[in-house]
Amino acid sequence: MPTARERMTIRGSLGADSFLPWIARHAARLGLTGEVRHADAARVDIDIAGPADLIDAMEMGCLLGPIDVWIETIDRAPVPSG
Amino acid sequence: MTTSSQPMIDQWYPVALASQLPPEGRATQLMGAPIVVLPGEPIRVVAGGGRDLPVTVRYGHVWTSLGEPSKELFDIPEADQPGRRLVEVGVVRVRCSPLRAVENFLDIAHFPFVHTDILGAEPHTEVGKYDVEIREEEDEVWATKVQFYQPQAAKSATGGITTDYMYRVPAPTSSVLYKTCPARPGDWDVITLFVQPLTEELCDVWPWMALFDDETPTTDLIHFQQMIFLQDRSILENQIPRLLPLDPGREIPTRADLTSVAYRRWLKRHLFTYGAQLVAQ
Repeated sequence: MPTARERMTIRGSLGADSFLPWIARHAARLGLTGEVRHADAARVDIDIAGPADLIDAMEMGCLLGPIDVWIETIDRAPVPSG
Repeated sequence: MTTSSQPMIDQWYPVALASQLPPEGRATQLMGAPIVVLPGEPIRVVAGGGRDLPVTVRYGHVWTSLGEPSKELFDIPEADQPGRRLVEVGVVRVRCSPLRAVENFLDIAHFPFVHTDILGAEPHTEVGKYDVEIREEEDEVWATKVQFYQPQAAKSATGGITTDYMYRVPAPTSSVLYKTCPARPGDWDVITLFVQPLTEELCDVWPWMALFDDETPTTDLIHFQQMIFLQDRSILENQIPRLLPLDPGREIPTRADLTSVAYRRWLKRHLFTYGAQLVAQ
């Protein structure tokens, strides 16, 4: 399965303390590696690496997110390796 | 019932077929509350303590609400289109969350595995890309440009065809499916799923159809749809967790689940949580 490395930019009402641990759990469940590059109440950027289909699944999961968070949009862009 | 149920209390729900009300009425439940649907002119729906509930009769069904609906029941313009046959399928009781019943109706990926050789067949299991949106003006979930190979898409179909689908969710426990009409290419058959939430884990499902089909006997149309829904029931009654998770938790939604994800997001946005699990367990 082809692997990819992408920057996922999540926008919405993201202020709940539950969100970053939730992202870490969901990524781990999918076997993805990730690193939070930016986090505030309106935007979270994560660099995420793994099989492309599972990064798709990460996006689907994040669109729902935990109940106390509302995700408005998710943008994805490739991150150059190196 | 908790105050968090309020947004769903104020919705319309189907509670009976208007044409088949017995003289003594239909005693049933709505969101855990006992109600009686009484025949007459006009039809009445009475809750505990003798309180009359709002009533509207549309699409062959009696609709009511425990609360105060802020708008009229959603419109299905095809219901008034000349030449269509309006088919009242009846009721199927399912031991599942009413939201699970709607979500299952929106899921195409299960067709080859649950409705084998009817609505789907191996090896045609792949769900192609399609569009999903929450339409802001109508405040409805829409999935369009859905295509799927079906061995027998409808009772009137004589062979396998690639069927076009559109799905619409105009209310938390109602969904409208538009699919290729075998008899009239270019037109859509309309198949609906109206769900009456008896409790958070029990529902009555009232399918209803508006078809272009002048030939198939009504009993055959009804038996075909009932067979489909009975196949779904065995799956629905064994789903874990029983409530519909709004946090994916252990579930791993994929791109094929885009309609389900949009439906859950829409429920979450409106706090339509009766029958939902809020925190993953």
